[in-house]
Amino acid sequence: MTASEVPAWETLADQPLDLLDALLLAEVAQMFDVLDPVPPQLAEQLRFAISLDALEYELAELVSDGGRLVGARTESASTVQTLTFSCETLTIMVNVGADGLGRKRVDGWLAPGSAARIELHQGSRIRRTVADGDGRFVFTGVDAGLGRFVVLPPDGQPGPAEGQAPVATTIVEI
Amino acid sequence: MINAEAEQGTLASRAGEIFDRYRAGERAAMGELVTLLTPILWHTVRAQRLDRESTEDVLQTTWLALVRHAGAISESRAVLQWLLVAARREAWRVLRGQQRQTPAEIDSDAVVTPDDELPEHVTLRDVDQQVLWSHVAALPERCRALLRVIAFADRPDYAELARALGMPVGSIGPTRGRCLAKLRASLTADARWELT
Repeated sequence: MTASEVPAWETLADQPLDLLDALLLAEVAQMFDVLDPVPPQLAEQLRFAISLDALEYELAELVSDGGRLVGARTESASTVQTLTFSCETLTIMVNVGADGLGRKRVDGWLAPGSAARIELHQGSRIRRTVADGDGRFVFTGVDAGLGRFVVLPPDGQPGPAEGQAPVATTIVEI
Repeated sequence: MINAEAEQGTLASRAGEIFDRYRAGERAAMGELVTLLTPILWHTVRAQRLDRESTEDVLQTTWLALVRHAGAISESRAVLQWLLVAARREAWRVLRGQQRQTPAEIDSDAVVTPDDELPEHVTLRDVDQQVLWSHVAALPERCRALLRVIAFADRPDYAELARALGMPVGSIGPTRGRCLAKLRASLTADARWELT
């Protein structure tokens, strides 16, 4: 097509959208994806923020970190740290230690002890396990880094069970 | 014809179906909606020239507002439009706050360059994309913002989304509209451009 055959944009504007427009817009989307990409963790962060909000969770604050500064990285692989989180209805204690394979093992228990679903959120990764009837739970092969624990009712209900709101801890270095 | 296309699942109709499930009690559906709509909402807010970090905050505020006002949306299929409008309003609010802190900046389209809408260090290695960007950058700002957003949606949604973006009726859909027409005309006249 030569320049003289190119219709003025005014003519083009009144024509219906066609396949070429669809292809062009697909290229526009691809271009903006390269120029200004969506941060890779953003959707996950947003999902997490609203999942907690939608659940009307209770926040368990860190009340003891075994003398370690919150947020400080633990260089020694042999250290075992005890973290205690507490809110009105629940206390969550976790021991974080090395598993000998370069990762962490997390032993936790809930007080009062009862069965629950436990999640460990680290960035985009969510690990899930269950606490037994005494409220004990274990995560193995955990990567060091920032994370938070979420305690959910045991029955698989997506929403809060009666008198048992989900609990989320503050974010800590694991 | 357009209705038939919508039945097959455009971005707006898929969003509406997921939102229906959420309102029927399926809490996890909201997470699906976030995954589906984060790209288009990201580009909606970034096209307002808000920096990347503030954009993340705006999107979080927008989604929390949806959770709180889920019952107030009369028709599920309108949830995408609702989010677009809410995100734009929140972006304006944040921008106004930022502009108060830097009174030297003039709030006028005349001084806006397309590069304001992009991260500081941008490299397009793809030659076709470089050509495309040179033409997109030459469009009026409102056109650039419109095309940037609707590029992430599906054709039957265009007219509604344009309205949600505050564009006049006929900006795009069912006809091509002036923004896309200008882009297509200038690209067609560019010998470097070949769309296959």
